[in-house]
Amino acid sequence: MQQQQKEKKLKFFINDDIDILIEILKRLDGRSLCVAACVCRLWRTLARNDSLWEELCFRHVSSPPPSSVRPVVLALGGYKRLYMVCLRPVLSRLGLAELTSHRVKRTWTRDELQLSLSLFCVHYYERLGAAAAAGDTDRSLGECDASTSSLMFLCKPVNV
Amino acid sequence: MVLYDSATSGGSNSGSSSSCSGTKQPVAEIDGLLAGAGYKVRSSELRQVAQRLERLETVMVNSPADISQLASDTVHYNPSDLASWVDSLLSEFNQPPLPLPSDLPDLPDIIAGPSVNHTAVGNYLTDNFTTTQQQQQQQQQMMIVTAMEEDSGIRLVHMLMTCAESVQRGEMAVAGSLIEDMKGLLTRVNPSCGIGKVAGCFIDALSFRIMGVGGSICGSVSENEILYHHFYEACPYLKFAHFTANQAILEAFDGHDCVHVVDFNLMHGLQWPALIQALALRPGGPPLLRLTGIGPPSPDGRDSLREIGLRLAELARSVNIRFTFRGVAASRLEDVKPWMLQVSPKEALAVNSILQLHKLLGSDPARNSPMEMVLGWIRNLNPKIMTVVEQESNHNQPEFLDRFTTALYYYSTMFDSLEACPLQPEKALAEIYLQREICNVVCCEGSARVERHEPLAKWRNRLAGAGFRPLHLGSNAFRQASMLLTLFSAEGYSVEETEGCLTLGWHSRPLIAASAWHAVPDVMMSHQNSN
Repeated sequence: MQQQQKEKKLKFFINDDIDILIEILKRLDGRSLCVAACVCRLWRTLARNDSLWEELCFRHVSSPPPSSVRPVVLALGGYKRLYMVCLRPVLSRLGLAELTSHRVKRTWTRDELQLSLSLFCVHYYERLGAAAAAGDTDRSLGECDASTSSLMFLCKPVNV
Repeated sequence: MVLYDSATSGGSNSGSSSSCSGTKQPVAEIDGLLAGAGYKVRSSELRQVAQRLERLETVMVNSPADISQLASDTVHYNPSDLASWVDSLLSEFNQPPLPLPSDLPDLPDIIAGPSVNHTAVGNYLTDNFTTTQQQQQQQQQMMIVTAMEEDSGIRLVHMLMTCAESVQRGEMAVAGSLIEDMKGLLTRVNPSCGIGKVAGCFIDALSFRIMGVGGSICGSVSENEILYHHFYEACPYLKFAHFTANQAILEAFDGHDCVHVVDFNLMHGLQWPALIQALALRPGGPPLLRLTGIGPPSPDGRDSLREIGLRLAELARSVNIRFTFRGVAASRLEDVKPWMLQVSPKEALAVNSILQLHKLLGSDPARNSPMEMVLGWIRNLNPKIMTVVEQESNHNQPEFLDRFTTALYYYSTMFDSLEACPLQPEKALAEIYLQREICNVVCCEGSARVERHEPLAKWRNRLAGAGFRPLHLGSNAFRQASMLLTLFSAEGYSVEETEGCLTLGWHSRPLIAASAWHAVPDVMMSHQNSN
């Protein structure tokens, strides 16, 4: 009996405690979260959970967003897409200028969030247009990952 | 120029070494006459050194900067080694020595005087053309002077002005020959950057004007939509316009539950998703939103306005906003009548005009009636806000040459800012979009010329006279515009605020101006009129 308990204690496996795993994943930054999603199927499923990405999106916002934001973001494609398509490039663009001078983790403002949401909405609207042009009748926009051009200006490197 | 004469006379002496009789012949065959003056120049290089000296003088005379630092700061070669000395001075002016064509005629026949500058040749051209032989001579002279001057770009600009002046005077033959010269010069300028591209556009526009085919340049409706879309992607001007107007409209709609937006040019409706999303998230909940989009009728039976409306409706449905859309098809803005818009008195109205109002400025400035008529019915609808975005330049001057000059500088700046765009094919199509505008400004007249841009000061007067009062675009709009610009990779854009209006420019040259207005109440209008 003691031998078994000892073995159990030694064989701690994170995948047995999903709650702890989620708590850990909640605190990762974007790149680490993507890397985590490549570890195994369980981690991939958990990392796809949009609430993790919601945590990531609003982690550095100075004040918590109003409750009306979530349904809008979910309707426009979800927090993971918001982060990958809009927030990450916007933050890196805006943060790059500050990184050289301050070197501190900056909180970003309501305005920046609002701008990102607006750009995200334009992106969604263009995907609608692309889907319509391709003749999609079932509107499965999740798979329709045609890179719309309205946000491509964010993806190009900054001429510093 | 004493040295100059010595050089030419030295050059025409075939056996210069014979003058150094009795002395040991130098291996490099230094010219004897110049050696007597203390300068060592090889006989074989005499012509090149003379030409470089001439060019150095031209450059020094025409140099815009203060060149006195050459006397003190620059390290010169020993002037007795004349060839290296003149090269080192030329490199101070960034003029690398270039190999000149070997069939160059003898120099004394060509150079009219010691200082050859652009305006001298320009005046010579416009004053002295009568026979074709003289024209040929002038062309030859111009070609040779061009070869000697490094900056073909500046040359091109001056030739464009000269050509425009000829067109204004009706001297089409001269203008035609100038265009041929410019096309030749264009091959020497790099066509893929800076002055080359915009000069190419203007040369084409001038040749269209001379041939009288200006009216056929405008493309089909769907073509224009595609070009507009790519212009939207390639540079921030339209995005700035949309976001600034949206911010002003959002603030004006604060507290209203029924709102109505009239868009004077719907295109693909790219402005409205952001407003829909902002209204969805506004504190207090979203209003009932009506959008009326005005656009040209689509020729091939497709109802493009309705398609855009359906897309916007789907977006609005996703974010839970009650939304209705109405499309008004009209090929010109003055054909729209207010009853088509079905404005209800209970709703807050916003009128949005992005680069549209200038098309109403008819050719006859005294009448002005389409503009007055449209502004009149807008005012009678009593909008909460009217957002106006226009190009910041005067392309509606009565004299062709003034218009041409202003347009040349404006579109040069535009094309400069477009250079920084890394996206292809967006950049190429955006350039075609601008090319069409240039053609309209340069080639067309009368009712065909719709691109009648006017600066913000003129719009202020016009709108104030029509019964509108300016609304200051707040600090939110300015912050948003600045943020938007930092997202663009090019470093030259700048946002400025002047008396409540925002302008976006390239290297502090404003190119597009956004302003907001609302109607003065009738009581105040009659009070103003009675004064």
